[in-house]
Parts: sequence; C-alpha cells; structure tokens
Amino acid sequence: MKEYDVISTRANRIDTPDKATGRAVFVDDISRPGMLYGALLQSPHAHAKIISIDTSAAEKLKGVKAVITSKDAGDIKYGVSPARYDETVFAIDKVRYVGDEIAAVAAESLDIALAAVELIKVEYEILPAVFTIEDAMKDDAPLLHEGSPKNLCAEVHQEFGNVEEGLKNSDIVITTKMKNKRQDGAFIEMQGCIAEFDNLGVLTLTSSTQVPHYVQRTVAMVLGMDVGKVRVIKPYVGAGFGIKASANPMELACCFLAKKTRKPVKMNYTRDQVFMLARARHQFSHTITTGAKKDGTLMAIKHECWLDGGAYTSFGIATVYYTGSLLGGPYKLDNMSYDGYRVYNNKPACGAQRGHGAVIARACFEQQLDMIAEKIGMDPLQLRIKNMMETGDTTCNDLNMSSFGMSECIEAVRKGSDWDKKKGHMPKGKGIGMACGFFVSGAGYPIYRSDTWHGTVIVKLTEDGGTALVYTASAEIGQGSDTAFAMIAAETLGIPLENIRLASGDTDMGVDLGAYSSRQTLMTGHATKDAAEHAKKQVLEVLAEQLKVPVESMDIRKGFIEFKGKAPDFSELRTRYIKEHRGWIDNPKSEKLTFREASRIAFLEKGSIVGTGKYKPHLLGGKFKGAAVGTSPAYGCSAQVAEVTVDMETGQVTIDKITDAHDCGKAINLTSVEGQMQGSVSMGIGETMHEEVIFDKQGRVLNHDLAEYKIVTSMDMPMVEAIVVESAEPNGPYGAKEVGEGAIMPTIPAILNAVYDAAGVRLYELPLTPERVYHAIQEYKEKNNIK
Amino acid sequence: MLLPKFEFHEPGTIKEALELKKKWSSTARFLAGGTDLLVHLKKKIITTDHIISLQKIEALSQIRDNKDSVEIGACATMAKISGTPVIKEKFSALKSGVDNLGTHLIRNRATIGGNVTNASPAGDSLPALLIYKAVVLLESLDGKREIPIEEFFKGPGKTDMKVDEILTGFRLPTPPAHSGAHYIQLGKRKSSEINVVNVASFLEFDPKTKKILNTRIALGSVAATPIRALKAEALLKDKIAEEASFYKAGEIARTEDCKPIDDFRGSAAYRRAMVGVLTKRTLATAFELAGK
Ligand SMILES: Cc1cc2nc3c(=O)[nH]c(=O)nc-3n(C[C@H](O)[C@H](O)[C@H](O)COP(=O)(O)OP(=O)(O)OC[C@H]3O[C@@H](n4cnc5c(N)ncnc54)[C@H](O)[C@@H]3O)c2cc1C
Repeated sequence: MKEYDVISTRANRIDTPDKATGRAVFVDDISRPGMLYGALLQSPHAHAKIISIDTSAAEKLKGVKAVITSKDAGDIKYGVSPARYDETVFAIDKVRYVGDEIAAVAAESLDIALAAVELIKVEYEILPAVFTIEDAMKDDAPLLHEGSPKNLCAEVHQEFGNVEEGLKNSDIVITTKMKNKRQDGAFIEMQGCIAEFDNLGVLTLTSSTQVPHYVQRTVAMVLGMDVGKVRVIKPYVGAGFGIKASANPMELACCFLAKKTRKPVKMNYTRDQVFMLARARHQFSHTITTGAKKDGTLMAIKHECWLDGGAYTSFGIATVYYTGSLLGGPYKLDNMSYDGYRVYNNKPACGAQRGHGAVIARACFEQQLDMIAEKIGMDPLQLRIKNMMETGDTTCNDLNMSSFGMSECIEAVRKGSDWDKKKGHMPKGKGIGMACGFFVSGAGYPIYRSDTWHGTVIVKLTEDGGTALVYTASAEIGQGSDTAFAMIAAETLGIPLENIRLASGDTDMGVDLGAYSSRQTLMTGHATKDAAEHAKKQVLEVLAEQLKVPVESMDIRKGFIEFKGKAPDFSELRTRYIKEHRGWIDNPKSEKLTFREASRIAFLEKGSIVGTGKYKPHLLGGKFKGAAVGTSPAYGCSAQVAEVTVDMETGQVTIDKITDAHDCGKAINLTSVEGQMQGSVSMGIGETMHEEVIFDKQGRVLNHDLAEYKIVTSMDMPMVEAIVVESAEPNGPYGAKEVGEGAIMPTIPAILNAVYDAAGVRLYELPLTPERVYHAIQEYKEKNNIK
Repeated sequence: MLLPKFEFHEPGTIKEALELKKKWSSTARFLAGGTDLLVHLKKKIITTDHIISLQKIEALSQIRDNKDSVEIGACATMAKISGTPVIKEKFSALKSGVDNLGTHLIRNRATIGGNVTNASPAGDSLPALLIYKAVVLLESLDGKREIPIEEFFKGPGKTDMKVDEILTGFRLPTPPAHSGAHYIQLGKRKSSEINVVNVASFLEFDPKTKKILNTRIALGSVAATPIRALKAEALLKDKIAEEASFYKAGEIARTEDCKPIDDFRGSAAYRRAMVGVLTKRTLATAFELAGK
C-alpha cells in the first residue's frame, strides 16, 4: 500500500484554533459601517389571495429606509431545479403557506424594522387550505399552483427488469408500509446574510449557505445581474444538512433591500422562521413489496411512495427521484419498480436533508429483510451477505459500484458488536438489530443542466516559495472540508500541512457546486489534487531545466526534492536562493534541496506559479427518464448494529450502543470521518426517536423551537463505535469517497430491527415516542394474550 | 425575538423589593433565574414595565437545616438544592426532581421559587414538594403568611400569591424514620424535556408489621395543577408494603385520581397508563429506600 505523509492521518483541523477560541466569524458576527437591518413580513395565513398591500404607514416610521414588495422584486420565478421554478421572492397574487414572504423592510435598527413590518397592512381573501396528501388530492381541493392538477407536483414511474415475474418466482413476499414525520434540520446557526453594493454596482452577499455557487446564480437571475457582478461569500457556517443548499427568500429580499437603499443590509432568521422556511426532510409514506427465494435470494422490489411536499417544489423533484433510485443497492437485485408522487399542500416546502430522499425507504426495506430472514430461519446478517453487491457491480438502475467495501463493513460490525454471541441470546426487553445502506459521493450532474465543471481550484505558490495558497469556492460548513482539501493539497505538492493556507467559500475563487450530495471530498478533492499537481509540475519543470535532469526523475516529499538515483549538484541554486535572502537567518542547510528553494527559483524564472485544477464526473447513468438522479462517480456504503433496551411498561426505548462501519474509500482525515459517522448516527437517532414538526389546524408550526422540537441531547447519545473501512475508489482523489450522508442510511432500520428483537413489535411509523411504542406493545400483548 | 423594553430594579432586601412591588403593582414582575420570565417576555406571552430582580437578596437563596425541618429559600437554584447534603440525605425525591429539570445551564439559574410560581402542571420540583408536605412562605409589607403547598396551586400558571406578595421560601418537615420517597419523570428524551407524566411518592411503614403508616402520592402533567392521588393513598393505608399493593395503588391512581388531557406532547390515554406504572414504580423505590 502507498505510504502517505499528510492524508490518512488524524491531522488537527485547520479551523480548530478559530472555533476553540471564539474567533471564528459567522454572519451574525459581521457588521458594516452604516449597516441597516432587514425584516420580513410573512403570511399569517396558509392560503389566501392578496387583495391589497398598504406600506405607507411603515414607510413613514422614523428610521425606515425601504419597504419592498413584489412591485420591487418582480415576478421572476426561481427555485432549485430550473424546470420546476415555482417561487417568487415576494407573493404576487396569493400566499401558499404560513410564512410565505409578502414584503420586507430595511431600517436603522432591527427594532424599527420589526415595528415597521407590523405597520404594513395587507388585505387578504382567505382561501380554503389543504394540509395533507389526502385532502390535497381530492377532486374539489383548492389548487396551489396553476398547471398542477390534483396538486400533484411530480410523479415518477420506473421499472427495471420484470417485477411481476420476480414476485411470481418468489417463495416469500412481504408487503409493509412505513411513514416518517416531517423533519427540521435543527442546525445550530440560523440562516443570516448581509447584502451590499459597491459604487461600481457589484453586489456582495455574505451568507450562511452550503452553496455559494447556486446562490450566486439565483441572485444574478432574480436581480437581473451578470453572474460576474455578484459575489457570494460564505463565512464560517454552523451546519446546513441540506436545508441551506439553495438560495432562500431572505437572501434575495436582502439583496433587493441593499439595492434600493444602497446600504449594507443584514437579515437573520429567528428559530421560528427557520421552521417556517422548512426545506428539510419530507414526510414519506412508503408501501414496499419485496420478494425472496427460500434460500434468501432477493428477487424483486415493488415500491410506491407519497411525499408530502408543502407549498413549493424546492428540491422535491430530485427528492422524489432519489427515493426510488437509492433503494435497491447495496444488494443484488434484477427487478425493481417505483411509483413516486410528490404532492403540494399549504405547509412550508420540504427539501433535501442528509440522506436525501432515501432514508425512510431504507427503514422500510431493511425491516423487510429481517422479516424474510426470520421466515426462512436465517441470520439477518447472513441474508445481507448473501445478497450483497460487490466491487464492480451495477444496480438494475445503472448505478455502478466502482469500489464497495460492503462485506468488510458487515464483518466489522459483526465483530465490533459481538453479533454472533448476542443475536438470539439477549434477555427479554433487550434487542440487537442491523441494517446496511449506501449513498452517492456527489450527484453525477449539477442541479441546472450544464456541462459546467463541478469544481475548480487554484493553488498559488507564494513568491518566497514557502507557502501554497489554495483557493476553492467550496463550502466548509462544519464537516471539515477545508482541512481535507488542505491535506490533499499538501500531500500532492509534497509539503507539510502547515505550509498550506486555504481560503474557501467565495465565488470569486472559482466554481464549486458546494456542500450537498456528499460531493466535496471526491469532487473538490479531485480539483484540488489536479491544481496541486499542476503547480508541482511547474516547479519541477523549472528545476529540470536548471539542473538538467528529467522531470520524471524528481518528486517532492515532506518539503524536499527527491531525486531518483544520485542527486545532481544543486549548490548553484542554493547560492542563488541564499543571495536573495541576505540578513535572513533561516537559510537552508539541509542535505536535500528544499521545496522552498525550488519554488522560489521557479518564481524567479516564471513569475507567479499558479496551478489550476478542475473536476467533473465522466458520463454516468442509463438512458431512461430520471436516470441522472442517483448517479455518482462512487458510492459509500455502511453497516450498523443497534443494541436497545425497551421498557415494556412505558414504551421507552433506550439505545445502548451503535456499532457503525463505513466504507469511505481512502479516509483523508480519520477523525473527520468518525465525526461524520457519529453525527449521522445522532441525526438518525433523532429521526427515529423524537423528531417531528407538528402543525396546528391552521397550518402553523406548533413546536417551532428546540425545546419542543426534540433533537437528541448528549444524554440520549449512546456509545458509538465508529469503524472506518477503507477501499480503493478508482474515481476518488487518493481513492476517497463520501461519509457525510451514507452513514445515516442504516441507523433507523437498525434501531427498528433491534426494537423488534427486544419487544416483539414492528413499528411502521416514526418517531418511536414512548407512547407509540407503548401502544404497539399493548396491541402485541392483546394479540398474543400476554398479561 | 427581542426582549421588550422595561425598567430594571435590583433591590438588596426583601423589604425594598416589596416596596417596589407595592409601588408598581401588576405592572412589575419579580425576576429570579429568569428561565421562565425571559422566555415568556421574548415570546410576548406576557408583558411588563418593571422587572424587580431578586438576585441581590441573599436571604432568599439560603437553605437552612432546622433538624425537624428544612427551609429552602425561594431563590435557591436547582443546582444548589441538588448539592446540599441534607437534601441529598433526607429529601431524595426532591433531589431527583431538581436534577431532572432542564439542563446543567438551566439548573444553574432556575430557582425553586420560580418553578413553583410558574405553576406548570409538569413542573419538576412540584410533586416532591407536595409529598414532603411543604409549607409555602409568603411575605408582604403587611406581614408574613404560610400556606400548605396543596392549596397554593390554582391552575396552570396560577397560584394563591397576591399581587403585593413575595414568595420567600418553603419549609419541609424532615421525614420520619422508616420512610422513603421517589420521583420519576417520563418524557420523550433523556434530558431537557417537558414531562409527559411525572410522579412522586412518599411512604412510611412500620418495620414490624410491614404495614404502610402513611403515604403521599403526587401526580404531575395529568391535571391543571400537580395533584395528590388521594384515593390511591387511602387504599394503601394499613396495607402491607409490597408489590401487589403498589400495583393496586397505581391502578386507582390511573383510573380514579387523574384527569389528563390530550395535547401534542401526549394523549390522555397514554398519560393515564403511565400514571399507573410510575405510581407503582415510585412506591416500590420509596419502600426500598425506607427500608434502608
Ligand atoms: C431550556 C429550558 C428547560 C427547562 N426545563 C424545565 C424542566 O425540565 N422542568 C421544569 O419544571 N421546568 C423547566 N424549565 C422552566 C424553568 O426553568 C423553571 O420553571 C424554573 O424553575 C423557573 O425558575 P426561575 O428562577 O428561572 O424563574 P423566573 O423565570 O425568574 O420566574 C418565573 C416566574 O416566577 C416569578 N417569581 C420568581 N421568583 C419569585 C419569588 N420569589 N416571589 C414571587 N414571584 C417569583 C416571576 O415573576 C415569574 O413570573 C425550563 C426552562 C428552560 C428555558
């Protein structure tokens, strides 16, 4: 195996000193001279016609600098996927959910802005509203959007192989339903932004976003500006989980306010506004039929799913495709069909969240695998091994597993959890369960149809030769991507990590599609490697000329030039370097020629040494409609074992331990990989156990804070044994692939299977509140005459 | 969500605090830890023109062991109560109540007086105060007043306190020998939780006959105020302290003593069922502790 100097270690994160000392700057820490504060007027009604808007009283309030409505912002539609643009910055004719934006104010203080918002008079004509899929699909249901009969936002119908045949040839056929609840991302930093125009008309938007690039394009489009005149900067960000993966209406409103006032304007969401904007995980209602042979061979999956979409499409069109495309793997399966429907209603729009589209389908299906195993008397772990895909396999919907450490993952959790000893031998009330999953390492295609590079990176060597500057427009949002790219740059250049300075999250630095679909390590990683190789090549070419040795006979490692065979005499170069530094005390004395010397000489010969790198995936996927969604240059995979205790009297479930193995290709930074695994498990547990956005009958979120919307606390987190499994991914930089989302896939079903093992009950609806589990246990006791 | 504007007062004595309160009357509110008050102000659930902080009044945060009773100042924080030896040794149900309230950060600020004045049916320290027969100590410029805690709660957020009164603390008689008590709260997660049901039980028994001499059971989150399960208590009188009795008491508490409602935190049916389970479990543990 190749030895690495920088990657594949537990290097300290480069943002740790800033974060540990409180010096990390987030949007809300930033202030500008003369800055104004913005506030939004959002609809109190779930569905209403706007008859009139009177802003005169608000405009007259002292300290108010601008009040804007759709009259100012226009009617340009935007959204996530161009084919599905269905939002305007401000409501024009009607509002579609409680929270729909109607107007915005900029004022000298937030107090004044909020007071002014209250002074805006809107006359509404209340329209009937629908809040469920069932109500939205009724014949006489009010329609949210023209051109979407029955409030159907999107539907997908796919069949691979022959499902009917597959089921006919099955010995066991199981049909179950599964339903989750609408989620909130519950990131710690609420969205915020500052928009400002300079005197030349260039707009800079500083925002808490995962995707500076998409925000830049959306802002440019909606404001009618050149992309080159819009700069989006992402400072430190307190997570996003998918919710910050598109432009939000506040960002756009803020730009319009800055344009109108010609002053910097800052806006922030409060926590209840975060809940109002939503854009997190949908509520999915799955019905899956799975067929298998007596020996455990999986034959076919028939899959139907209904997505409760909310008022707009947002990521929904991608979600409804992902839900189908990411189900079959990581198992060999020839026949799979999918019918997916996403339905509009008068609740906030749902979007993408960690494990986009695929998490609840997996929760349904992986339970069925356990049911099949039970029926045929097979260890569920064995059943999975039997059906598992291997490196090089392609799913029936054309997803190619160019590396796949699935069996290593299963073996790792088997050993790590002591599965063989525990399965079937747990005392009453205690249980053990497992599940597997896989996920994309970056979407194979950008959100807008384009041949664009998915990432470009610049590596520039400083003139003294000592330091390499890495510029990437990628988004560090807490996951550790800056550190990963600094490590990749250092490894590739052959210099220590301390000699890298990295700047990211700024659209002026290049193109990067951003932090979503677990894409950055692979894609931005590639571009970084490419750029660093380019810079390194330029240095070595100068050296080759100067020392009269072929480029191929040289390499750079740990900051020194390595020569194959005997090193040439480089004393002339060294003298030249030292002459440049009279009075300096740290001139090189080493036996080997240093990178610093080589790179300085290169600068003297050629001027700035700038390496440029880029990446886009090769052509991926099949030819059928929707084939693009789910494609990726590589797939991560994982297996998890959950151990639980169920209180048979109260229904309380305690998760005692999670053993988690994930194949992330080559781990660039082992600690970061484990961090993502732990984080995924924690989010998965939250979804399984507690999380649920609850609405009242008027479509208002009832639990719009983190007291009543319950994410896991440290007290709820079990021991997580995170086992990193490495494979050599041919399409990844140094063989690296994803861990950010794939690691959440098995969590929910592993817990559900463990609960069944402990209590004998199968739960088909989340979350597992004590009450829900209690009722299931009561039902089970009644059915089985247990007192 | 911004705090509304108000005038802030910081008296050094109870008397000064009472004078300010008399002056501003219902347009003023006392501030102890602020973990309810500030939240309610930010959410615009309440408004106020004046805030009278009690944080500078040392006398209010004392905990005194009088041997036959213990006096807990209204402004004693949950963290302080939890760390006080006499509470740990003799009032374990109260300790467990205050330990289950909120998070470390909240417990460092939240006071027992604030928890009682807030009078949430789910309040974590309230069931324990009920089963330890706490006496509420009140003071106004006209003098002092004492009232049993059972009579103090009038509804969610409502108490017997008058506009010009201050809550100075609680007196809890020291539990007799051969007695024990326990508290269990049930929520959806393990910390920072608003209870779905919470129950505290006290039990005193005769070690010779094993008969129950005295028992008090308090139920939270199943009525407009925390309540005593009087029928279950009556049933236990003179019964042998054993699993079967505790189970029966739980059944009575579940079917006859509580009147829970449905809300988004839990259904009435589940709350009822849990009253049964938690009553049984708290009694069993109280008995176990009484035997020690
Ligand atoms: C994140 C969070 C979690 C929480 N978790 C829990 C929990 O698990 N369990 C629980 O029971 N509660 C919980 N609470 C609620 C709150 O912390 C408690 O009710 C706390 O005990 C209130 O005490 P305080 O000192 O902060 O009261 P404050 O907010 O200062 O006051 C509350 C009310 O009492 C009045 N008041 C206070 N002291 C006096 C006095 N001496 N005389 C007269 N009036 C007075 C005030 O005017 C005010 O109306 C939580 C709160 C938060 C913010």
